Amino acid sequence: MIEVDRLSKSFRRHKQKGKSRRQKEAREGGKLFYAVHDVSFRAETGAILGLLGPNGAGKTTLLRILSTALKPSNGTARFDGVDVVESPLEVRRRIGFLSDNTGLYGRLTVREMIEYYGKLHGLEQAKIDERMDELFGLLEMTSFADKRNDSLSSGMKQKVSIARTLIHDPEVIMFDEPTTGLDVAAAEAILKFIESCKAKGKTVLFCTHHMHEVDRLCDFVVILHKGRLCFEGSIEQMRSETGQTHLDKAFLTLIDSSEVNHAA
Amino acid sequence: MRLNILTIYLKEMREVLRDRKTLIFMVVLPTLVVPVLMNIMIGFIVRAEKKAQTETLTFAIFGAEHLPDLANAFSEEKGFEKVDIPTQEAIASAIEENKIKFGLVIPQASREQFESGEQVTVHFHYNNASVTSKVKNRASKVIYEFGESYRSERLAGLGLDTPQEQEHLLKPVTIEEHNTADMREVLGERVGGMLPYLFIIFCFMGAMYPAIDLGAGEKERGTLETLLLAPIRRYQIVLGKFFVIFTTGVTAALLCLTSMGVMLATKGKEVTGELGEVIASVSVVDLVLIAAMLIPTAAMFAALLLSVSIYAKSFKEASAYCGPLNFLVIMPAFIAMLPMVKLDWYWAMVPITNISLAIKELIKGTMNYGMLIAILGSSVVIAGAFLFFCTRWFEREAVLFRK
Repeated sequence: MIEVDRLSKSFRRHKQKGKSRRQKEAREGGKLFYAVHDVSFRAETGAILGLLGPNGAGKTTLLRILSTALKPSNGTARFDGVDVVESPLEVRRRIGFLSDNTGLYGRLTVREMIEYYGKLHGLEQAKIDERMDELFGLLEMTSFADKRNDSLSSGMKQKVSIARTLIHDPEVIMFDEPTTGLDVAAAEAILKFIESCKAKGKTVLFCTHHMHEVDRLCDFVVILHKGRLCFEGSIEQMRSETGQTHLDKAFLTLIDSSEVNHAA
Repeated sequence: MRLNILTIYLKEMREVLRDRKTLIFMVVLPTLVVPVLMNIMIGFIVRAEKKAQTETLTFAIFGAEHLPDLANAFSEEKGFEKVDIPTQEAIASAIEENKIKFGLVIPQASREQFESGEQVTVHFHYNNASVTSKVKNRASKVIYEFGESYRSERLAGLGLDTPQEQEHLLKPVTIEEHNTADMREVLGERVGGMLPYLFIIFCFMGAMYPAIDLGAGEKERGTLETLLLAPIRRYQIVLGKFFVIFTTGVTAALLCLTSMGVMLATKGKEVTGELGEVIASVSVVDLVLIAAMLIPTAAMFAALLLSVSIYAKSFKEASAYCGPLNFLVIMPAFIAMLPMVKLDWYWAMVPITNISLAIKELIKGTMNYGMLIAILGSSVVIAGAFLFFCTRWFEREAVLFRK
């Protein structure tokens, strides 16, 4: 289970030209800029949680806090009771993180790189070999396992990233726009893979802009807008609350209404 | 815990060793540059000296009739060739055009002066711009020998028959030199400034590319974020990376030093005379001490470069920062090459300059070992401080996730 509890993250604002003339945004408090402001939600074990929001809504920052790369300014989050602030290393052992722009070490072979992450996660060599065999078979990677990452196609690279994410068999997997920039076949492979994670009882946090993916996969949706939570509920609730059948329209309606709420 | 650092070290090292650019700066250049440079320089000097010593000197002489014996002395001497030029006024331009190497003008009054036992002045025109020029040496030797034969005659005429009596008159006081600077010190002073400069530059360049790759490179490729999510502490990442950069810097510097050592051991034997003795007097212990000076230097560079590199968002940005940094390193190394800068407690406190000066002293064989320990110690402390800063720097979100 993932519990996010009144999470905030603020950055010191950079001075920008013309800022004084522009209307102050709601998320700017004094010298601080709130990338994430007072966000709370929960995700049950074995569920796929969709994390939605327009660009700049704070999704990536939220994921970075959950993955312990950033420390929250206020509030906290827990994975099965393990706190991201108190025991970040323990959290890192439980999570896998995959984003569209995670790169690979070009001068290493696929096997060398996966092995590296296995070691960093403290796995024994025998366990690493076992996991690699399993993952390479599952993802159909055996044919290029000993090639250098530099020489791979983007579809192959994506598979390497997935294997890297899963080498330590994490309980929670976070995807940050995993299908961005992929062709239909490669995107489909990722979606199938997310479904298989759910089938294995993993908890998935899925961040995307594609509503058809949300419709297909997510049990539960959280929408962020300008750093704040503006919707939390099931896909059915998204439709019924807005009266829209198209999820894209429902999403936009929710964003618009939150804009109105803030202005009021 | 230590295993994590080792895991990172081995992985980064493997990557670095597969990078051609790094290998060139870490292995190829440091190994080759010194021998090639030395060969070219020595070869050039030897050839130039030989040429200056043996080439035929063309000359023009005016007023030969006033002192025919001197003119004859030149035509009898090997390696001189008389060339006719129109007028005495054309000497300068003839030298300029390389028609003659020197011009000799014997004034009209010479014969009379000479016969009456007075001093004769002849005019010698030549171009002294070239350092290796031996024109004056060779020509004046002929003139001097000519004068000498007449001097003995004149002294005998004064009743000083034996060479001893003549010598006593000519040199009432003589100097017996007791030079406290041995040859090693003299030569060390001349070349000793150049070598540490090379070592330090190579140390920096050897560390630079891996540093950019390991810091900014991870950011640019998007691998840093995943690395930060591994269940290890950030200081372990820093140390793993630091040791890789340190290794490449040290390797570059030591290869440069080793190739110099090998050059001295092999080529040095060919050099005879005083220079040969000097080369032979540089011991293995001296080389080891020089190596010891380069180790904290490499650590300083590694920590500094890693801090800069992790701050940068891309290779390009990191390279842009390394430019001025390079200058900051070269300046203090360069200061040590200036003749008035000597190793004293003041300069011993200036980082990098002190390393450079200490290496020079070691080559000269005049190291103050108390100072050596102080320099080593302070450099280690500085390197440690840089490394500490680097680990703290790595904890900062503003540095790792710079926008």
